[in-house]
Amino acid sequence: MNTPAGQLAHTLDSPATDPVEVLAARLREQYADRITGELVVPARGGRYAPLPDDLHPRLAAALAGRGITRLYTHQAAAWEAVQTGRHTVVVTPTASGKTLCYNLPVLQAALQSQARALYLFPTKALAQDQVAELLALNEAGGLGVRTFTFDGDTPGDARKAVRTRGDIVVTNPDMLHQGILPHHTKWAQFFETLRFVVIDEMHTYRGVFGSHVANVLRRLQRICRFYGADPRFILCSATIANPVELADGLIGADVSAVTDSGAPQGARHLLLWNPPVVNPDLGIRASARSQTTRIAKQAVKRGLKSIVFTRSRLMVEVLTKYMKDAFDRDPRHPARVAAYRGGYLPTERRAMEKRLRAGSIDCVISTSALELGVDIGALDVCVLNGYPGTVAGTWQRLGRAGRRARTALGVLVASSLPLDQYIIRNPAFFLGASPEQARIDPDQLLILLDHVRCAAFELPFREGDRFGDEDLGELLAYLQEHGVVHREGRQWHWMADSYPANSVGLRSVAEGNFVVIDTTGGAQTVIAEVDYRSAPETLYEGAIYMVQSVPYQVERLDWEGRKARVTRTRADYYTDAIDYTRLKILECFVEGGSLAQALSTTGDVTPDNRGRGAAPAGSTMTAISSLASHGEVHLVRRIAGYKKIRYYTHENIGYGNIDLPDQEMHTTAVWWQLRPAALDAAFASRQQALDGFLGAGYALHIVAAMRMLSEPQDIGRAVGDGNAEWFASVGASGRGSLMNGQGEAVEPAALARFTPTLFLYDNYPGGIGISAPLFEQQAAIIAGARQLVSACECAHGCPGCIGPILASDEVRGFSPKQAALTVLALLPNEADTLPAP
Amino acid sequence: MNLKSRLSRLQTDSGSTVTGTAPKPPASPLRRRLAALRPERVHAQAATGHDTLSIAALTDALGGELLADGVIRIHRHIPLTGKLGCVELGTLRPDPLLPGEPGTRNLRQVYIDTETTGLSGGSGTLAFLLGVAVVGNDALSLTQLLLTRFAAETQLLSAFAASLSANDRLVSYNGKSYDLPLLLTRFRMQGLAPPFGGLPHLDLLHPVRRLFGRRWPDCRLLTLERELLGFSRTDDLPGSEAPGAWFDYVRHGHAGRLVRVVTHNRQDIISLAAAHSALARAVTEPHACGVDLPALARWMAKHDEAAARALLLQDTASLCDDGRRLLGHYCRRAGDWQQAVTVWEQLAARGCSDSLLRLAKYHEHISGDLVAARDCCEQLPADAAQAQRRRRLDRKLQSGCPSPGLCTRH
Repeated sequence: MNTPAGQLAHTLDSPATDPVEVLAARLREQYADRITGELVVPARGGRYAPLPDDLHPRLAAALAGRGITRLYTHQAAAWEAVQTGRHTVVVTPTASGKTLCYNLPVLQAALQSQARALYLFPTKALAQDQVAELLALNEAGGLGVRTFTFDGDTPGDARKAVRTRGDIVVTNPDMLHQGILPHHTKWAQFFETLRFVVIDEMHTYRGVFGSHVANVLRRLQRICRFYGADPRFILCSATIANPVELADGLIGADVSAVTDSGAPQGARHLLLWNPPVVNPDLGIRASARSQTTRIAKQAVKRGLKSIVFTRSRLMVEVLTKYMKDAFDRDPRHPARVAAYRGGYLPTERRAMEKRLRAGSIDCVISTSALELGVDIGALDVCVLNGYPGTVAGTWQRLGRAGRRARTALGVLVASSLPLDQYIIRNPAFFLGASPEQARIDPDQLLILLDHVRCAAFELPFREGDRFGDEDLGELLAYLQEHGVVHREGRQWHWMADSYPANSVGLRSVAEGNFVVIDTTGGAQTVIAEVDYRSAPETLYEGAIYMVQSVPYQVERLDWEGRKARVTRTRADYYTDAIDYTRLKILECFVEGGSLAQALSTTGDVTPDNRGRGAAPAGSTMTAISSLASHGEVHLVRRIAGYKKIRYYTHENIGYGNIDLPDQEMHTTAVWWQLRPAALDAAFASRQQALDGFLGAGYALHIVAAMRMLSEPQDIGRAVGDGNAEWFASVGASGRGSLMNGQGEAVEPAALARFTPTLFLYDNYPGGIGISAPLFEQQAAIIAGARQLVSACECAHGCPGCIGPILASDEVRGFSPKQAALTVLALLPNEADTLPAP
Repeated sequence: MNLKSRLSRLQTDSGSTVTGTAPKPPASPLRRRLAALRPERVHAQAATGHDTLSIAALTDALGGELLADGVIRIHRHIPLTGKLGCVELGTLRPDPLLPGEPGTRNLRQVYIDTETTGLSGGSGTLAFLLGVAVVGNDALSLTQLLLTRFAAETQLLSAFAASLSANDRLVSYNGKSYDLPLLLTRFRMQGLAPPFGGLPHLDLLHPVRRLFGRRWPDCRLLTLERELLGFSRTDDLPGSEAPGAWFDYVRHGHAGRLVRVVTHNRQDIISLAAAHSALARAVTEPHACGVDLPALARWMAKHDEAAARALLLQDTASLCDDGRRLLGHYCRRAGDWQQAVTVWEQLAARGCSDSLLRLAKYHEHISGDLVAARDCCEQLPADAAQAQRRRRLDRKLQSGCPSPGLCTRH
């Protein structure tokens, strides 16, 4: 538990002696040319409030037993808000003692009136942490409050005890959805006395997942009403732009916010770090990998606890090896360096968390798996190997370092990717940006419909009931037509031989994990699990698969059996898969021509033209310029081969073929094409058109993700010809380039037919219902994209509008930003949707 | 774009392109959006060629009475003579006894079986048909309660609750895991107190598994009928069709399959009562019924080890090795050394090392025949314990320890 160390005097080391300050100063001094921006947040003392007068004496005693004699001001504010019966959201930084904000009122209610509480955590690991903390407090005060986890790992014979005896039940949204709500009668006693619902890590409930969870909470509230309970919600979140809005959306009620943290915080230094140019002729920079390793090594040598975040599991293993080579050379000593990522066995992860908390690890290298609030103790230095992709995600990871009275250092090391380079060269962009908004759309029709089905199973609906903002009667009538509910009098009853929650997944579609089996020396030991989606790029035959940076070679991959057999190897290289994605249109459900006003002459789109994307005033020439379609597409992802890369030198020492079935996905998409005539009229060259499509796609993707559901990865985007003959991507040069189905480069000018097609597709197998509303709202999305691009202050394009444009691109002869605007101008307008006069 | 234009756009689009077999309800904007979002095959292939039946006509057809609007009660008083279906009714007993049950209990056995709207459980599944039966001295009294509309579930449950009394024992087949939890859910859903909280409950599936689990391919009720009651149903509606049968009636008034569900449920209950009596008979005449004898003996031994031993002694020649080991165990505990030694010697001859060990101990500590003990010990698999035993026996043989009594407790 993050105890407010209220009684501790602040003995901040002076800048001259604080080892973190010393390291920061040394880095600044020695590498001034690599640091493109920095931020120093001064230390802040704690603000305290006395324990509330009405706090139960036994609870106060328990706190005293844990060394807590006063609260931080935000903990007191949360107490106040909850005691007055308001739903409350607490938004304060990592390690500010958030858990006490909800544990106090919950324990108080349990002691005073045997009231119960339900805790929801997004993952099982977090749930286990919380139980450990509650148990400690409970034990300190002999409170006798029973806390149990209820999840997929809870054995069948223990479940009844959890239901009937648990004062606090800790679970996750998936279990609530499939295991608890449909069986609510078994939980009758629990619901009758349910007083609090705690939702921690609220910021993870966004996008599709968040929209599902909001509906699960609607169902929970419905069940509570049935049992005469009206629980208060206490939500906690990391910093996002719109915590109150998200909380309101999740629980469908007004929420009061506690956002002013009273916890003390040490000073924070953030350095933006660009690897040095190593080849001025070619403009090649040193790798982020080498820089990250260097910084992390310096930190560890100075005795500072460090964490390194990477963007891929592979990089976790590579960096772990480098760090281990430096610090764990002697096998007789316990390891100082550890890797942490998804795919390790749960027991291994738990053991790792324990060692981290105990402080016996000096450096941990992790993917975003540690971004969530898994308790790993105090760290001093955080190095990000590459920009995590979002502002909020970056701050969340940086927040892993820095505890109360100690100075923390964060270093963001840019990779050579365009987005990283943009961020690092425009430090003001990142340092000044506010975190992203977390959006949900609980009334997305298909998600809503799924949960209306689940809710009808749980309790009959009555006439006049509400569930979401759509007309419930209509939805029920639709379900009746499809034979799952039956209207009788003023009620709708579930009437089907099925269990609807089982066919509704809150997250992505699970297709079976692969197990990695070590067969070295005839053994058969499972050493890891790999999820279905990443198996093809990590477990191909010949791949070097690493666990804690110990290399194994994949000998055989049993695709059907979901098994990979590996043996220990001493290879001095690692492998990296080469993949590419193509899309093919299968069926068009709906197609609509656009009456967008075509630009009359090519002169309107010269590079110098700074038009805002609208047709020139007074133009009278109209024609159908673009075609928008909604339909089914076939997506093929091919893992064609792999590279062998030698450690340290990173030279390519060979290629291997991968013989795996193409990863195929049927899903739904919206796509736009321009009429050849309009295309020819608007662009001087195919390269311009291509850059225009890629830029327009980038902007549309941002707006679509914002308008639909907030997770950008819920939606995929692609530019191709629609027939899987070629597809376009932004190459290393920052320019659009084409490849054919075999992955060979193609010159745009060499194509006989050139019909660039811009796809936004639903990035889940079978589609989860994103593309239809996207098609429905396309005009608004296009208008939003135009607005986004034209209002952007950049000259030729940036990650905020059409994607990162490197400086060298400014001399390409035309403005990619203008090209994107031209494409957007030709796509359907809002006005087009009105019936033609 | 505002909602109105979104909807009008969708209407235009779907109007022009959505084809196929979807039903065409009066156009509502939301419904059109749904249809466009999720083009689905039509569900309701309404069964044709069925007559629709009013509840009154259904009540007549079933020979029942209308208890409430939506609950039909079908009551049968069946004299225990001749056959019903395939069951010899004369074999039914009012109070069959299983091992461990006292003879005079004054308990009424209430046989219970439900038909439900699904097998998945959860609060969206209900019991639309509830059958209970009681066996008297000369007649079987069987009552079925059939629900025909959701709204009458309270009445159905209340009628069921009213039929129970404090000295009842429920007897079911798999009811502990299925029927009773489901009924408990229904009582809670309707805000009623469940009437069977304190009643004892015998789930026949458990003794059937015990006695026949290793003899039969499975322990389904249909298997029990074939193996223990000696018949196979003909023209039975599979239980899996029950949900659809009820939906047919509630939705369309088609009662054809529902009537057959009522028959199916009646047969289930009669088989349940017959199975109870047959089980009691199987306990007293295990050889005739193909009972797993050691399993029965273990069951009996929980309450009466002497009876279990007597059971195994009835026909020692045909006992399996497991049965012999058990017999040896009971005989040893009862001090019947002669019988125990006979059994162990038979088993030892077939290479049972456990029995050899028993014999070695017996000869060392009871009979005092150290040579025989040494001989048995020699044949035991070599391990540390065996070596120690052999050393001890050698020592005793050398010192010529005369009296078994002096050596037994060391």
